[in-house]
Amino acid sequence: MKYLNKNIEEIHELLKEKKIKPIDLVNEAFDNIESNKDLNAYITLNKEEAIKRAKELEDKEVDNILFGLPIALKDNIVTQGLKTTCGSHILENFIPLYDATIVDKINEKNMIIIGKTNMDEFAMGSSSRTSYFGAPKNPWNKNKICGGSSGGSAATIAARDLLFAIGSDTGGSIRQPASYTGIVGMKPTYGRISRYGLVAFASSLDQMGPMTKNVYENAILLNAISGHDEKDLTSANKDTEDFTRLIGKDVSGMKIAVPNYLMSDIVSEEIKDKIKETIKLLEDNNVTVDYIDVKYLENAMTLYQIIAMGEASSNLARFDGIRYGYSEENPKNIEDLYLETRGKGFGEEVKRRIMVGSYLLSGENAKTYYNKALSIRDDMRKEFKRVFDNYDLIIAPTTVTTAYDLTDPMDDPRKSFMDDILVIPVNMAGLPGLNVPVGFSKDHMPIGMQIIGNSFEEAKMYQLASFIEKKLNLELDPNGGEK
Amino acid sequence: MSNYIPTIGIEVHVELKTKTKIFSNSTNGYGQMANSLTNVIDLGYPGTLPTLNKEVINLAIKAATVLNCNIRKEMHFDRKNYFYPDNSKNYQITQARTPIGYDGYVEIDDDGIKKKIYIEEMHIEEDTCKSTHRQDKTLLDFNRAGVPLIEIVTKPCIKSAKEAKLYLEKLKELLFYTDVSDCKMEEGSMRADANVSLRKNESDPFGTKAEIKNIGSISNVGLSIEKEIARQSKIYDEGGSIEPQTRRYDDKIGDTVLMRVKETGNDYRYFPEPDIPFVIITDDMIDNVVKTIPMLPEERKEKYIEKGILEANAIKLIQNRQLSDFINDLLEEDINFKIASNLLLGDISAYLNKEDKKLNETTLNKERFIELVNLMSNNTLTSKNLKEILEKIMTSDDTIENIMKESGVQNITDDSMIKDVVKKVIEANKESVDDYKAGHDRAIKYLMGQVMKETKGSVNPKMAMDILIEELK
Repeated sequence: MKYLNKNIEEIHELLKEKKIKPIDLVNEAFDNIESNKDLNAYITLNKEEAIKRAKELEDKEVDNILFGLPIALKDNIVTQGLKTTCGSHILENFIPLYDATIVDKINEKNMIIIGKTNMDEFAMGSSSRTSYFGAPKNPWNKNKICGGSSGGSAATIAARDLLFAIGSDTGGSIRQPASYTGIVGMKPTYGRISRYGLVAFASSLDQMGPMTKNVYENAILLNAISGHDEKDLTSANKDTEDFTRLIGKDVSGMKIAVPNYLMSDIVSEEIKDKIKETIKLLEDNNVTVDYIDVKYLENAMTLYQIIAMGEASSNLARFDGIRYGYSEENPKNIEDLYLETRGKGFGEEVKRRIMVGSYLLSGENAKTYYNKALSIRDDMRKEFKRVFDNYDLIIAPTTVTTAYDLTDPMDDPRKSFMDDILVIPVNMAGLPGLNVPVGFSKDHMPIGMQIIGNSFEEAKMYQLASFIEKKLNLELDPNGGEK
Repeated sequence: MSNYIPTIGIEVHVELKTKTKIFSNSTNGYGQMANSLTNVIDLGYPGTLPTLNKEVINLAIKAATVLNCNIRKEMHFDRKNYFYPDNSKNYQITQARTPIGYDGYVEIDDDGIKKKIYIEEMHIEEDTCKSTHRQDKTLLDFNRAGVPLIEIVTKPCIKSAKEAKLYLEKLKELLFYTDVSDCKMEEGSMRADANVSLRKNESDPFGTKAEIKNIGSISNVGLSIEKEIARQSKIYDEGGSIEPQTRRYDDKIGDTVLMRVKETGNDYRYFPEPDIPFVIITDDMIDNVVKTIPMLPEERKEKYIEKGILEANAIKLIQNRQLSDFINDLLEEDINFKIASNLLLGDISAYLNKEDKKLNETTLNKERFIELVNLMSNNTLTSKNLKEILEKIMTSDDTIENIMKESGVQNITDDSMIKDVVKKVIEANKESVDDYKAGHDRAIKYLMGQVMKETKGSVNPKMAMDILIEELK
């Protein structure tokens, strides 16, 4: 009997009525992962501990809707006693001493951590192919990438291994793989979820978020993991709220903006057509959709590169072989320890970004580039605010193409950033962004639509996303047709 | 030595006296087992984030206030990036662009001539860990990592070793008195670097400077500056030129030695710390801190002298914070401050030193001290008797009068009793009485001695003398 392809309410009922136990779900999740092993979605499985935890939960009351449910975490989220590699050789055997705040919250809900998912090394990449542990594969077509950097989390959800996964999104790393694999991925407002225990890539942009097969389950998970945290000074001091509260509410009368740049010829015709179909659907349901110009969007990529690489060069300086992680044996001196440890420990893409980032912050460059980028970022935030003065939400395609072949060349760094060109502005402005599947390409690869909200208006985004989800009623299980 | 004009700037790092570290809740402590005061944040573990200790901001506001600095209302932290094992994140969180205090001064008194030493800026940063080198190994103790520091940078306006020392003494006094730091140079909670350069004329541009790092005491700051001036003068005299370098003062040889020639253009890749939002300092915050600033040494000295305390004693009191605070608490009282200060600096200090105690660890409180001073002022208690009962005064809660009674050192102030003794002495010393009456003044001293002997010194001497003179008429 299979349970993990059911919706959360059904599973919750079964658990409450004691018809199933958490261990049944855990065993099923590991069976699913085993049969989908070729997807390479996981770096580390937490089998022993997860089984132990499931057994412990048998004596406990089913106290909330997430009780006993398996969850997968991207491998840049620190878990005490459970290897956290960030997809890198330098942390290949790193076992953290503490739990991230998000892990505490997941444990409070009595969820069960199943394993740590594959990702681009230190989240730097857009196809998960910079992972030291090899790229994960797209469940819709195993010759294709599943996007990145949260590729493993996207793959395991798309494959229906389990219901819940956490990803992180610095420049699209939740939404873009969600789009490539046909799932729902939310990058909440910057500050919504504590970053304490998320291994930093670009501190002013990083944000974790839920990745799920549908909108409702996504909102349920966000309820559990968001909230103010004293350990993270950038976490927002917001009251808790129920993100599912607007789901199912009428969307008629909503005003939605479509930025022209995000529908320009950088986007493939096939995807634009699918978005236009969705816009038509919305208009038919009494939603106003206007195409508008939004300033600075075409600068977002440049700003992102400066800010993200600058911050990354500093954030990754701590991996020096002295206190933890890979360490060169018998170095000649301290300089040698640094050079060899970091030279061998980091992959090519990470080293490239550290070098570019260091250059961008060097001497006068900091003023010319980093500070200038911060100031344009402020202008960009103001520009988005202006849009939200007149519109409830913004919509756009999530990606410019559908998932491409795993064998496509990786030697063009611009290409990697182009994959994220539509999702990056959201990070620059600190706004929430969500991917919802809206259809398939001719070769039956998923196409996603991005919904962008004003700060802290995730509930409204879920409202629209769930409306679209319900209206389109797509078959989003890659194995669905074969059953 | 030829005549060159020295230009000196001083940078001081002061460890703030907070309970916990600046960016984590680890204890801020000294002399504990290595790495026992650390957590994942201090060790720069992946995923950790800094929090900000509000106590640090308050102490920095306090320091900025007493150093007459402007306080920045909106400030942020910056990352200073460099690879070194004493730096767990390989960046130090500091304030490069928005130091909390700027454009201040400290006034020194150089043999009666007042001079302002100008402060360029004062910023907050975290201390690094302590490295100990053993043969080819380096041991790291992260207890110090993340201890809050303020760095105080003067303008290049100091002209001599003496001025430098006066500045440091004054700075230390101010920061110590305001509880900003315990300012113990020997424990490294206050560390000074001196930048020294020479030039021929006031109108010349500044010469190339050498930096003397981490000088361990104020007197060594003076010595190292003198030595450095001599070294540079000699080079100039011989037609040489100074290269920018970092030196240290070696106590054993009594001279500065080369550490390293400065690499040009250290590139710290500063950028605003993204993990800590801007800090807004409100007028209320400043007011609340200013309220807690105690009376500063300068004002204390003036007050003490006003109250009749000798200048030398006033200075001594200020050097001893606990005694000074004790006397400050009495300033509104109507007592003899000269006697009070003599008591505190004399018998009481001697007692405290001997017992290795602090004043607040004894039973001597404000009320009992006032009683004591008054008993001494009206001669009820003699210094000789005080010595006998001091221990009891410092350890019992009883009134001084009761202690005197119980210890039998009560001065005899009863007229008739004294009269009896005096009569007895006159009776027994006819010869001396005759001598006195014949005009030999010295004889009365002998008689007085006999009175004291008879009463074992417990008679009020002034009263006894008056009665003796009366009886001899």
